[in-house]
Order: sequence, then structure tokens, then C-alpha cells
Amino acid sequence: MLLAIAGTSLRELTRRRSALLLVIALPLAFYSARSDEPGQAVRFLALGVGWAVATLALFSHVGSRHLDRRLAVVGASPTALLLGRQLALLGTGFTIAGAYLVLVAVAQDVERLWAVALLLGTTVLVAAPLGAVVSLALPRELEGALALLAIMATQMIADPEGALAKALPLWSTRELTTYAIESTGDEFLHRGLLHFAAAFALCACGAWAAAVVRLRPSVPPEPAPA
Amino acid sequence: MTGDEWHGSFIRILLDQGVDPIEAQRISEDSRAEAIAARRHPAQLFGPAAAYATAVARAARPAPLNAPLARAKGPVVLRLTGVTKRYRRREVLRGVDLTLHAGEVAAVTGANGAGKSTLLDICAGTIKATSGVVERTARIGYAPQQHGVAPYLTAEEHFRLFGAVHRMGARKAVATGAHLAAGLGWRPRAGVVASQLSGGTQQKLNVVLGELSRPDLILLDEPYQGFDQDSYLDLWAQVYAWRDAGAGVLVVTHLLHDLDKVDHLLELQGAEDR
Repeated sequence: MLLAIAGTSLRELTRRRSALLLVIALPLAFYSARSDEPGQAVRFLALGVGWAVATLALFSHVGSRHLDRRLAVVGASPTALLLGRQLALLGTGFTIAGAYLVLVAVAQDVERLWAVALLLGTTVLVAAPLGAVVSLALPRELEGALALLAIMATQMIADPEGALAKALPLWSTRELTTYAIESTGDEFLHRGLLHFAAAFALCACGAWAAAVVRLRPSVPPEPAPA
Repeated sequence: MTGDEWHGSFIRILLDQGVDPIEAQRISEDSRAEAIAARRHPAQLFGPAAAYATAVARAARPAPLNAPLARAKGPVVLRLTGVTKRYRRREVLRGVDLTLHAGEVAAVTGANGAGKSTLLDICAGTIKATSGVVERTARIGYAPQQHGVAPYLTAEEHFRLFGAVHRMGARKAVATGAHLAAGLGWRPRAGVVASQLSGGTQQKLNVVLGELSRPDLILLDEPYQGFDQDSYLDLWAQVYAWRDAGAGVLVVTHLLHDLDKVDHLLELQGAEDR
């Protein structure tokens, strides 16, 4: 069942071609705007990938909610429905991230390319469940998109050393970008990975809890014989 | 046309309309006696034989609404006892009782806002009743009124997805879906996603998905929306075929005709503010 849900979800995503093109173009626009500064370019590219994947997750989960409720009524597990859709989103996100990793490798002289791959991967891993959490907490597309806008824009402009930036889900991306681009010590890597683990766990658990609450039908008892 | 010819035509049409032969003979003799007593040609007294026979046959047909059917009842598949639903101060449903067995059809009717869809959602389990008891079989099929299909998936992909949930093989799910679609006069075309189908055809897909696993209880919420007349008749034929195959069927409808064969007619009253 998990693979069937992931497969159909992936087909749905790929058929929303204009939305997909816009999602792919967003990180490129961010990257192009700061391409003269390698550190900033990679940082904005990664945040753009995160924003794009989270938005894709938001629209995917909002769009499928009615169908998922119907599937849950006839026996699908809310966990399988969430995991199947997340698998499709992660696959799409990793593909986009992979394409941008090639761009960075070709166009930028970065200190640690493997760390760029790591930060793009961790960004996708946080963004997909983040979009799911927002979609399940705010079940309308406009409200969800505005919430993501608030989160991502704040993440971009907040002082990285301040408490606000650290409380946001993609602070790890900034730390890992610094480690990848600049000649810094391992503390940036460790802090980044620690924050990623916490943000991922929080988003994944939040998405799972929200999916169970939203999708799980009440199952009445079998009728007693007449 | 002579009087005898008129009466000959009249009785023939009565029989064609399904009136019992003895009853048809009696009606014909009565109309002949009336014409003789009035000393008029039957066409002058009653009008054309065909029109008069059709009207008389409709009146002579036994009223089958809620008539007990000569079928053995299966086990109870749905039982509602005193089901009430309230949204804050607004009471949508009050004290709804219904017992539906396998092999029976229940129609839920009522005006807009009477709580028909709410009742179906309570039966499906997507919303909870405020009070009362709901008991139902676990194996259900469910066709909601809206958003029952995914706009970017083809019919075949829907069949595979729902088939996977019902633990059916992909081939079996697609073959079953195509067979059920044919019963509604529709042949799904490859590569056409649901958003490209007409409203009526999307609704057929919705209905087919509700029946894909041959459930014990089928819940349908106004399933005929967008249907043409033939599809509408096909749907009811399908509903009675499911019933005859042993399923319990609960149909929400606001159309009061074609309910002459249902086993239960549950008419909901309008909403009430408290």
C-alpha cells in the first residue's frame, strides 16, 4: 500500500507541471540573485530548495486530504498515507537538490562539496515534513502558503546568532552552509547536524500526529445480531 | 374506431403496463358498462385508449413503497440508535434510528440542510455523533458527495490505489473497476485524468470506487449528480443489483421518485437553532 500511495502521489506531483516548474525556478532565482558571493549564493539556494519543497508538500497534502480521508475510511492507515506522500515529496526534493548540487559543483569553487550535498539533503528532509505539518494545521492553501512565507522569510532575515533564527526549522542549513563554504572548524558541522536532528524529529512527529488526528476515522463497533 | 376496437386496445395496453389480467378484464368491463350507461362512445367519455389505459394502469399498480420484499434478510450491517448531531447551538440531527440488513436498500431524503450528508459521514466515521449509538460492519464502500476522486489521476490509477488499500492485486482492481464502470455505461479511457472527465463521469468513477471491494455496506451521497437519464436509471439498477447480491446500501438522495423499491425510507427534518 505504501508504494502504491507513493507512486500515485509522485504521478500527481509530476502532472502539476506549472507548479513544478515554479518550484524548480524558485531556488534558481534565489541563487542567481546572490551568485556573485559563493557563500550567500549556496545559502540562499538551499533555503530556496527548502521553501520550494515545503510549498510542494503543503499543496500536495492539502490537495489530497479529501481523498486521503476517503481512503482512511475504507481501511488505509493514516501513517501509510502520510509516509507514502512524504516518500514522493522526498524523491522529488532530492532530485531537485541533486540538480542544484551539480550547478554548484560546476559554477562555484566551494571548500567542501560533500557538505553542500549534506546541507541540501538535510534541508529537503526538514522541508517535506514541515510542509505536511503546516498543511495539517492550516487546511487551506492560502493560509498555509502565508505561514510558510512567514517562516522562510524570517529564517532568511533573522540574525543567525539570535534565538529567533535558532528556533526556526532551517537554521541548520545556515550553519552547514558556513561549514561547507568557509574554512571553519567542525563545530559548525556538529551544531548544524544537531539542530537538523531536532528539527527533523519535531517536524516528522508533528506531521505524523496531525495526520493521525486529521485522517483517522472513528470505527463503530460491529452490529449486534438482531 | 368502434367501441369494441377501443376496448380491445384499452385492455391490451393495460396488460402491457403490467396490470394483472383479471384486474385488467374487470377494469375494461367497468369502463364498457360506464360508456353504455352514458350512451356515449368510450373515446368521447374517456379520451384516447392509450392515454386512459396508462393513467388507469398507474393507479391500478399496487403501491410498492416500503412494501416488504420477498427476500431473506441478511445480518445487520448498520444500526443507528437515537443518533443526534449538534454543532454548537445548531442541532442538525435528532434521534435518528435505522436498522439496515444485508440485502436491503435505505434511502435518506430531506430538504437541503436537513443533515443527509452529515448522517452519511457519521455512518462512514469521518465525523462523530454528538449522542446515540452507531454500529456498522467494518467492510464498507463510501462515495462522498464531493472531492471523492483525485483530479490528476486516471481512472486506472484510482482503481490501483483503492485496490492496494483493499489488498487487491493491481490487475484484479483494474479489471473489477472496468467491469463496474461498464455497468454504469462508461468505459474508462487510458491516459485521461479525472479532471478531464465530465462531472457525471467523475461521479461514475466516484461510485465505482465505492463498490470496488464488494463491501458489505455501501454508503452513497447523492451519487447521481451530473448523470444523464440513462445513467441515472443504470445507477438505480446497479444499487438493486448490489442489494440482490447481498450488500446493504444507504443512499442519500433529494429526488423522491424511483424510491418505490427501497426497503427503508428515512426522511430527515430540517435543521433547528436552539
